[in-house]
Amino acid sequence: MKILFVDDERDIEDLFRQKFRKEIRNEGLELVFAFSGQEALDVLGSENPPKVMYVFSDINMPGMSGLEMLAKAKERFPQITISMISAYGDSENYNKAMESGASGFFTKPVDFEALRKEIHQILSQ
Amino acid sequence: MILVNIISFFLLYYLKKFFGGESFSPELKRYFKWGMIASGALFVTGVSELPPKLLFDFLSLLLVGGIIFLIINSPELEKQKNLAVTPLPIVVVYVVRFLLETFLPQYFDKFENYLTAAGFFAIIWAVTMWLNHRKEMKSLQIERLISKEKERQLFLAQERKQELERLVQERTSEILSQKEELQEALNHLKSTQDQLVQQEKLASLGQLTAGIAHEIKNPLNFINNFSELSEDFLVEIESELKKDPEKLDMENMLDLLEDVKSNMKKIRHHGTRADKIVKSMLLHSRGEKGEYKETDLNSLIGEYSNLAFHGMRANPNPINVEIVLNLDQKIPPINLNAEDFSRVILNLTKNAFDAMRDKINAVSSEYKAKLEFRTKDLKDKVLLEIEDNGPGVPEEIRDKLLMPFFTTKKGTDGTGLGLSITHDIVKSHGGTLEIESKVGEFTRFKILLPKA
Repeated sequence: MKILFVDDERDIEDLFRQKFRKEIRNEGLELVFAFSGQEALDVLGSENPPKVMYVFSDINMPGMSGLEMLAKAKERFPQITISMISAYGDSENYNKAMESGASGFFTKPVDFEALRKEIHQILSQ
Repeated sequence: MILVNIISFFLLYYLKKFFGGESFSPELKRYFKWGMIASGALFVTGVSELPPKLLFDFLSLLLVGGIIFLIINSPELEKQKNLAVTPLPIVVVYVVRFLLETFLPQYFDKFENYLTAAGFFAIIWAVTMWLNHRKEMKSLQIERLISKEKERQLFLAQERKQELERLVQERTSEILSQKEELQEALNHLKSTQDQLVQQEKLASLGQLTAGIAHEIKNPLNFINNFSELSEDFLVEIESELKKDPEKLDMENMLDLLEDVKSNMKKIRHHGTRADKIVKSMLLHSRGEKGEYKETDLNSLIGEYSNLAFHGMRANPNPINVEIVLNLDQKIPPINLNAEDFSRVILNLTKNAFDAMRDKINAVSSEYKAKLEFRTKDLKDKVLLEIEDNGPGVPEEIRDKLLMPFFTTKKGTDGTGLGLSITHDIVKSHGGTLEIESKVGEFTRFKILLPKA
């Protein structure tokens, strides 16, 4: 079970790895990270079919935005579940994300318990 | 002797008609009146030959003598003195004739012819003198008319002059009041301009606020998350230590301790990051003038391009932009007023975002907005280029771009001061600002700053 996190802040890697430490150790959860929209598409495109089942992506990033990445990823890999995370919980971003096929929409600061539940749900499937 | 009376009457009549009227005193008028009556009476009695010839002659001569005396001695008739001389020879001839006739009748016949001749000449003399006098009087009258006319002209000129002076006065006060109005308007404009510049400054601060909030939120989230995690890990280690020493999972505990250590470093790192952002915000919002200091231009560009980007993202109508930093690490510290110069970066970045937004709205989705910052170390200068791949600036408005209040933005979107202030700041750093552009392809702002 592989999950991809996309954010331009490099420290989210440590953060998520520590937050899901138990799941990684005990439940076979695998985390991958990309630090731009383009890098995320590259990661997904590097395996055929991609082993990543779930993508969590930030929206505001320099260069390709998360929403752009979402649209492109959904087009190429419709089977992958993608949720968006934004610092700005505005309805415009929310609507755009939903239109482009996002499964969920989280606002920063991330509610890790909600995220954990979501991940457990996928893990149990 | 009738002739003498005619002369008497004529003298009085002539003087009264042409020079009389208001200028005569009542006394003189009375003399004239009675003189004319007397001469008329004498004339009538002379013709009728009623009185004795001697008395008649004597009274006639007395009257004419009196009239001549009156003319010579009246100040009102100063100018008519000549007239008194006119009949004088005639009167003298008559007086001689009268004296001869009365006292020496024996010689009268002998001299009568002479006297007649003298009388004749005296008449010619009188007529000549009178004509002469008339001529004189006429020229005098003309002179008087001329001087009267002159006086009238002078009066008119005076009046016109006064009227002109009044008009000038009026105009002057009008102009003065207009000048005051203009001065007031100018003062008003100046204070409005100051306000606009201040507002522009605040607007760029407002634009920053969202970026700053975003920038602070990220490190704060990290601080919260990493400290929470560390606490969890320490609790876990604590409970692990309470277990049976034989069952201790040393590997796990060491892992956890390693994480806690690294988290502490990250907390510190993000704390410093937030602190720097707050400091730069304070720097920007301070009312006072910033200081010139040796500044790392590259990090200033990195910091403010990032703030501008997040500010734009957090404001209405965000766009996706690739921001490329192509910075020459060899450039030395530059003497900059960081507070002012950060506005140069902010203004040019914001302009680029606005221009590229227009292009995004105008052209197909294939367009990818890109903003590039370049620095380069030149011999005695440092070059900073800010280039966007937006719609470009048409040549005809390129020169106007740096003028105050020139804006291509509609309605209240632009004050038209951003670029003008940017230019002022660059100039105050001893630098130059140039614009290069190709419509449909790019706009490049080239700033040259002196090194030392």
